[in-house]
This record gives sequence, structure tokens and C-alpha cells, in this order.
Amino acid sequence: MKLELQGIRKSFGSKQVLNDISFSAESGKAFGLLGRNGAGKTTTIRILMDVFPADQGKILVDGAPIDYRETGIGYLPEERGLYPKKKIFDQLLYFSLLKGMNRRDAAKSIDHWLKRLEMSQYSDKRLDTLSKGNQQKIQLITALAHDPQIVVLDEPFSGLDPVNAMLLEEVVKEEIAKGKIVLFSSHQMSYIEEFCDDIAILNQGSIAIQGNLRTIKHNYTRDKLIVRSEASDAILSDLGCCCQRTDEGTLKIRLASPEEKQGMMRRLTETYDIDEIRVFEPSLNDIFVEYAGEQEEKTS
Amino acid sequence: MKQFGTILRFELKNYLKNKIFVGVTLFFVAVIAAVMFFPRFTGSSNEETAPETEFTSERETASAEGLADASDSLPAMLLLADTPEHTAAVKQAFTEAFTDYRVLEETEGLDHLKAAVTSGEASCGFVFQGLDTYTYYVDNLSMYDFTTEIADAALQNLCQLKAMVEKGVSPEDAGQILQTQISHETESLGKDQRQNFFYTYIMIFALYMVILLYGQMVATNVATEKSSRAMELLITSAKPASMMFGKVIASCLAGLLQLIAIFGSAILFFNLNKEYWGENPIVASIFDMPPELLLYMLIFFVLGFFIYAFLFGAIGSTASKLEDINTSVMPLTLLFIAAFIVVMISLSSGSVDNGAMLACSFIPFTSPMAMFTRIAMSTVPFYQILLSIAILVVSVIGVGILSAKIYRVGVLLYGTTPKPGAILKALKKA
Repeated sequence: MKLELQGIRKSFGSKQVLNDISFSAESGKAFGLLGRNGAGKTTTIRILMDVFPADQGKILVDGAPIDYRETGIGYLPEERGLYPKKKIFDQLLYFSLLKGMNRRDAAKSIDHWLKRLEMSQYSDKRLDTLSKGNQQKIQLITALAHDPQIVVLDEPFSGLDPVNAMLLEEVVKEEIAKGKIVLFSSHQMSYIEEFCDDIAILNQGSIAIQGNLRTIKHNYTRDKLIVRSEASDAILSDLGCCCQRTDEGTLKIRLASPEEKQGMMRRLTETYDIDEIRVFEPSLNDIFVEYAGEQEEKTS
Repeated sequence: MKQFGTILRFELKNYLKNKIFVGVTLFFVAVIAAVMFFPRFTGSSNEETAPETEFTSERETASAEGLADASDSLPAMLLLADTPEHTAAVKQAFTEAFTDYRVLEETEGLDHLKAAVTSGEASCGFVFQGLDTYTYYVDNLSMYDFTTEIADAALQNLCQLKAMVEKGVSPEDAGQILQTQISHETESLGKDQRQNFFYTYIMIFALYMVILLYGQMVATNVATEKSSRAMELLITSAKPASMMFGKVIASCLAGLLQLIAIFGSAILFFNLNKEYWGENPIVASIFDMPPELLLYMLIFFVLGFFIYAFLFGAIGSTASKLEDINTSVMPLTLLFIAAFIVVMISLSSGSVDNGAMLACSFIPFTSPMAMFTRIAMSTVPFYQILLSIAILVVSVIGVGILSAKIYRVGVLLYGTTPKPGAILKALKKA
């Protein structure tokens, strides 16, 4: 299964919120939607979920316009919320029935998920007796219980403690392994980096960069070197302003162009006692800051 | 359709599990039971006291002085006439006419009579000049005081009897002549307003209460889902039209159930205690309702309920906080109260076919109450009834679709309550 968004545009009043958003996600892979606050992540997801229509653009499943009755989508909205005064099992059942399940399958699936997320003992409790993190786990069940083909999780890790975050991680990996499309949005780069094969970074309603995460990293301009050496002070004074000390105690050397890479490496290893020297590979965080942050600077 | 059923069941269960809903229904049933069983327990004691009254009033020879010692609980009526013969005649006539008073002679004069009435020692007093002229003294004149009418009739009888006796008719003959009974029957070819007034009144009131209460509940229900943020999940799980119709029909069913419980228990308890109610005309008229009127009641109740509940739901979806609900629904509530007042005034005045009612019975927001009142209290051409129902049905569908759209747009407008203009704009886009 392939989910595609093509040329989505949306404006609220005179404010253009999304400008020509296109990306695609495939079965068995996780897709990460990144961006700063207000970049348009939630709006994109809401359009995908048909909460409101796009002004322009198409949403396709396997090349055909999406049919929401046919395509099962599980959704964890950014605005978390269920019925605070209702028993947990009752409301989970209600949402599963709304998604078209029959009563028996729904009850079975809910029991499975309550057990999987270690929430079985709360089945008969009212939702508002639970902590925020546990409420979020219950809400996650509404997104997964009906076994949807596409799982859309808007900021799934916010508000979870490390143990619960790990549990969610496992669950997400299982869903990916089952061949589902998992679409994420998050600020937490470490999670995206861990799960997502493909990413799109949104900035001010436009896609700043998108594609396979490894390719993006690889294509990142290879014009920086990381050097670990006992003689770091000498290197620092030798190279001057193009060399910086990093938090880890290594040196980061910015080259004028990627072609100088070999020459610089040779020169350093010949001149100094070098423990380690490698081409700098950016983390997703670096890429995010560069694309999401830079564009902000340009516009401001 | 399946979704609609799920929503309907879920919402209906919410009502039936609601402790306040169940409590209020039980409370009403209990009150009705208490009212309906009342004569069963009080009926017998009335019979006991009746002969005692006669006994005491005969034994009471006396004067106002004996008033304070009197053990009888009946209110006292004082008489002051110009001659002893008049006093005796009037006293006898009034004792017969006013069985629920102790009729006493005033012996100490007008001032004492006034003082006794003012202090509450006596309930009222009569001062006679001759037999055909009197002044009636009472402390606070009640709206429903018919004492003078009864006194007039008794005195007229007395004067006529006296005149006939003076003309040579024997007192027995005169008495017989005067007691001639006229029997009559009234046959209303249209509706008997006196007969229908009470149940129309009760039904209009029930309609008013249920629509207003349940309308508010629908609005609160929608606003609660919005404020608890369950909304986003709901509208991505179900169609807004299913949501809206499911909620409104569930609340309509809950309201109907409540009405059936209340009116059903009233009818049941009345039939259990029928013999104790005897010939009470008001109670009998309430339970003597024609079945076709019940059918009209059902039609107008359901349609009227829908049109308001849809709007209440739509308004609920535009409120961003629960606290805003009361102010948001005010225009709608006022519209409904205005319709209620027009109907109630027309109903009380008896002219239910006046211009305002005629207009109101075709306007969808007022027709449920206005047309129903006209059907119950007057003779309405059948085509008018059909036309009114047709307009109402079309409006209900229109308002239903419109409010589902408003709901869809309104539920995601968080923050400040949107202005009507903003909603219209969003509607056009959607």
C-alpha cells in the first residue's frame, strides 16, 4: 500500500498554512513528519484525516483517491481527549464500533491491547481516574484496536515517561513489522531517527527537505571532519576559525569544499598524533536545525 | 446507518444511566402517585366531618361572643340585620346556602363586626338594610370570592318566597315553585374548550419543559465532547450527520420515555383510584383525552423537539467552553419562550384562532405548540394541519442538515466563540 499526498494547499483566512505539500509513505515503513511549532504538521495530518478539506491537492492510496470507508486509518490526535467520565472499556468499545468492528471482535481486540499496554486493571475505571500518560495509552488503543492499515500518530511520545515511551516504541515497531504505514509527527528527533525510513521536514507550510533519511544524511554536504586527538589545542591554534571544539571533546573542522577532505585528512594524520578522524555525519537533529531553523532566519 | 445505530445506543444509554435523569423521572412519578392516591386517604375523613358541621351550626344559637370558645374549625360569617325577623330569616337562608361557614349573629354592632373581620376572628360579615340590600365586609378580597353571588341567590330566593307568601300562596307551594329545577344539556359541535383546557395546558407545558431541558442537554453534551477534546477523534470516526442525528434522536427518545413514564403512571394511578376521585370535573377532563389528540401530540412533540434540539446541538458545537453555553443558547431560548407566551396567552383568553396564533401555527419554530393548541381547543381545517406538519417536516430536515454542517465546522473552532459571520464563511468553504 502506498499513501500519497500531492500538492496540498490550505489557508485559514488570508494566512497560507500549507503550500504545496507532497510526500508519500509505504507499507512496512514509518514516515516522520517534522517541523517546528506551527510549521503545519497537525494541519497536514488533519487534512489527511479529513477533519477539514484541503483547498487544493489530492490524497491517494495506491494511486486512487482515498476512500475513507475502505481504508482503515487509526488516528492519535495531537489534541488528546476522550470521555473523562466514562468507563474505559465502554468508550474503547464505542470507538471500535464506530470504526465498523462488530462487538465481539472489538471486545477481543480491546482486551488484547489493554493487556499489551499493561492497562488491563483499569478496564472498568473511569478515564479521569488515570494519570495523563496512562490516558494517552488508552487513547492509543482507539487508534490501533480496529487494526487499521494506516496509523497516524501526532506527537505520540509527548507526555510519556521513559518506560511508557519504550513500550510505545515496541508497539510502533510491531505495527511496522505487520506491514502497516505508520505516519509520525514529532519534535523528538531521537524517536524519528530510530523508526523512520522516510522523513519530511516542514517549514512554514512548505516542505524544506524530504526523502529517505539515510540518503539525506549521506547527501548532506560532506565538508566537515571530526577529529579526536591529544594534540587538539595545537590543531585548534593551527587551523584557526574553521576549527571548533565540540561538547564531546572532539574537534569539528569545517572545510571550504568537500574536495579538500582527503588533503586535510592526510595533512592532519601526518602532522599530529590522531586517535580518530572521520567525515562528519549529521544527526537528524543537525539536519532539522539546519533546515527548519535556517529557513526561519531567512524569513525573519 | 450502522454508525448511526451505534451512536444512538451509546447516547441513549448515557441518558438512561444518568442518575439525575432517573432521579427526576422517579421523583415525578412519586409526586403523581402522591396526588393520585390523595383522595383515597382523605376521602373518608371528609365524609366524617360533613354531618358534624350541620350539627354544630344548628347548635350554635348564639352570638359573636361565643366565637372564641367555638371548637369548630369552620370560618365564621357574621350577620347584622335591621330587625330580629330579618336576622332569623337571613340566618336560616345563609346556613343552608353556606354549608362551609358557621353563620353567626352579630350582637354588638357594626364596629365590632368590622373589628372581628379585620382581626380574622370572623372570615366575613354582612350588614343588611332590609332583605334586598346589604354590605359585604371582608378583610382581603380574594380573586375567587363568589360569596356575594351565593348570598344574592339565597336572598333573592328569600325575597321571592316572602313576596309569594304575602300574595297568599302557601309557604309549601311557594317553596315548591321556587325549587323548580331546570335541566339542560350542552352539545358542542366543535371542541369544548372548558373540557380540553386542562389537558392542553398540561401538554403544552410538558412540551415546553421537555424541549427546553433536553435542548440544553444536547447543547451541553456536544460542548462537553468539544471541551474534552474527544471531538477530533469522533469526527474522524463517524459522519457528522450520524453524530448529530444520533444525539438528537437519542435525546428525543429519552424525553419521550420520560414523558411516557410520567403520563403513563398518571393514567395508571388515576385508574387505580378512579372511584375516589368521583365526579371531579377537572381531573376527569384531563384523563378524558381523545386518542387522535395524543397522536398529534406525538407528531408535534417529535418534530418540535427535533428542530430545537438540532439548533441547540449546533450552538453547542460553536461554544468553546461549557460556561459559554448559557449565553450562546439565549437567542434560541428566548424565541422558544416567546412562542410559549403567545400560546399561553391565547390559551388562557380562549381565542386560540387569533391572528398571532394563525401565523404561529405555520412558522416551524412556533407551530409545534401553536398548531397543537389550535387542534386541541378549536376546529382546524385538516389541510391546515397537513400544511403545518409538512412545513415542519421540511424545516426539520433542513435544520438537521444545516446543524450537522455547523457542527462539523464548529467543533474545530477552538478558542473564542466564533461570530456567526465566521461560521457562515467556514460553512461555505466546507
